Amino acid sequence: MIPKMKVLVVTRSGKELIKGGLQLNDSATVADLQEAIHKRRNAGGDELRTSRKYYPSRQRLTLPVQPGSKERPTVLHYQKSLSEYTKGSTSELTVVFKDLGPQVKYSTLFFFEYLGPLLLYPIFYYFPVYKYFGYKEERVIHPVQTYALYYWCFHYFKRIMETFFVHRFSHATSPISNVFRNCAYYWSFGAFIAYFVNHPLYTPVSDLQMKIGFGFGIVCQVANFYCHLLLRNLRSPSGNGGYQIPRGFLFNIVTCANYTTEIYQWLGFNIATQTVAGYVFMVVAAGIMTNWALGKHRRLKKLFDGKEGRPKYPRRWVILPPFL
Amino acid sequence: MARFLSGVRFQVFYFGVKTLNEFGHEHVYDAVEKPLLFAQTAAFLEVLHSLVGLVRSPVSATLPQITSRLYVTWGILWSFPEVRSHILVSSLVISWSITEIIRYSFFGTREAFGSAPSWLLWLRYSTFLLMYPAGIISEVVLIYNALSYMKESGKYAVRMPNKWNFSFDYYYASLVGLAIYVPGCPYLYSYMLGQRKKAVSKTKAA
Repeated sequence: MIPKMKVLVVTRSGKELIKGGLQLNDSATVADLQEAIHKRRNAGGDELRTSRKYYPSRQRLTLPVQPGSKERPTVLHYQKSLSEYTKGSTSELTVVFKDLGPQVKYSTLFFFEYLGPLLLYPIFYYFPVYKYFGYKEERVIHPVQTYALYYWCFHYFKRIMETFFVHRFSHATSPISNVFRNCAYYWSFGAFIAYFVNHPLYTPVSDLQMKIGFGFGIVCQVANFYCHLLLRNLRSPSGNGGYQIPRGFLFNIVTCANYTTEIYQWLGFNIATQTVAGYVFMVVAAGIMTNWALGKHRRLKKLFDGKEGRPKYPRRWVILPPFL
Repeated sequence: MARFLSGVRFQVFYFGVKTLNEFGHEHVYDAVEKPLLFAQTAAFLEVLHSLVGLVRSPVSATLPQITSRLYVTWGILWSFPEVRSHILVSSLVISWSITEIIRYSFFGTREAFGSAPSWLLWLRYSTFLLMYPAGIISEVVLIYNALSYMKESGKYAVRMPNKWNFSFDYYYASLVGLAIYVPGCPYLYSYMLGQRKKAVSKTKAA
């Protein structure tokens, strides 16, 4: 007889999600549990006639916490074995279930976010859009506006290519509502900037400033690409995610060198095109990335604390030397 | 601080109602202008308090409130004197001041005595049911009335061409502002209804 483990699945309000709980092998992993929840087989092994909408990436399983306790619940990791969470003492485990709602892959999310700016910006360049804003149809196109078009479209094309061919995503997915939120952000800002750079009354900067801006921007984009390659090589192709200490190139000095190069790349674009809209976008994006960078930096420092044989995370800038 | 602000708002309320009775609605704004401007502007501190955690209200509830107040006070009433004689200025001033006197007294007594009397709690979580729609309707109508003056005067507009390749049209920005009222009002109202439910159930349990 294979020793069986009983798992009780409750919702956050305390109700049993699956009456009678589930029976799994002792050696089962969290992923097996998630599969079982998805298929909703009860203790007797019969399939319940309820809907099977809770596919694994929608499930968030945590260990119960004491009521009133302020500690954050432990999230069950899909690759770990269930016995790791029972602390070996019992063969019964209670997990708390949360439905994260419909999920999409990160690659799907990124693709749609980036598609907007890639397609919307050229509309302002090529089509007589400004007619509808009350401007005359004839306009003079300055060289900088043409270069800006190429630069912008190359940037978002690069991002899409990286999404499919370079980035190694962790197992995680994202709630579908983020698709709307993120697309609103990227698409609105894309249109906002495109409107001003391609405006018939656009005032270009000096030739030298334009060259410095685009030149610097291109260097940063190349550096950013290299950063992405380095990050990719930290993770194995089997897609199990996980964290390593980033090393090499700019990562030796700054934790989130990929964000750093991205921000500076926008700075290059803005130096060349000089619009309030472009600078606002850069500042907002820098703010968002700084938030992520702080989280990542903290997580790495916590993970690599130098104890129990783990390496200690070296002293580094978080995202923007010499500020942070 | 809360008690001081409720005092200022009481002043607004008192002068507002007095002028309304004695001279008619056209003169209400002039009577309340100074304390109104002061009180509404000082209220931006509320957002700070939310951010810092001094007050328990989330930023998502206080920010739209304060933004709309500042916008209507400075951006509409102060900027476009033609709108000041409208009758809804009175309803605006009255609904704002009633809400805020109650709100600040509530926080003030909690500050001073540790808790607020139950009648004050009831007022805080019940008057909004009428005051919110009254205030919102006043705000929306006043903004709408100011629109034609915005277009005519071109006030606060930034035109191109300019060095920074930026343009701003106050008229269109205000239209966007009005559009925000459409999802914003149900959100705030249901937030307050939720708060009311929680507060009432807490007193029942106590």
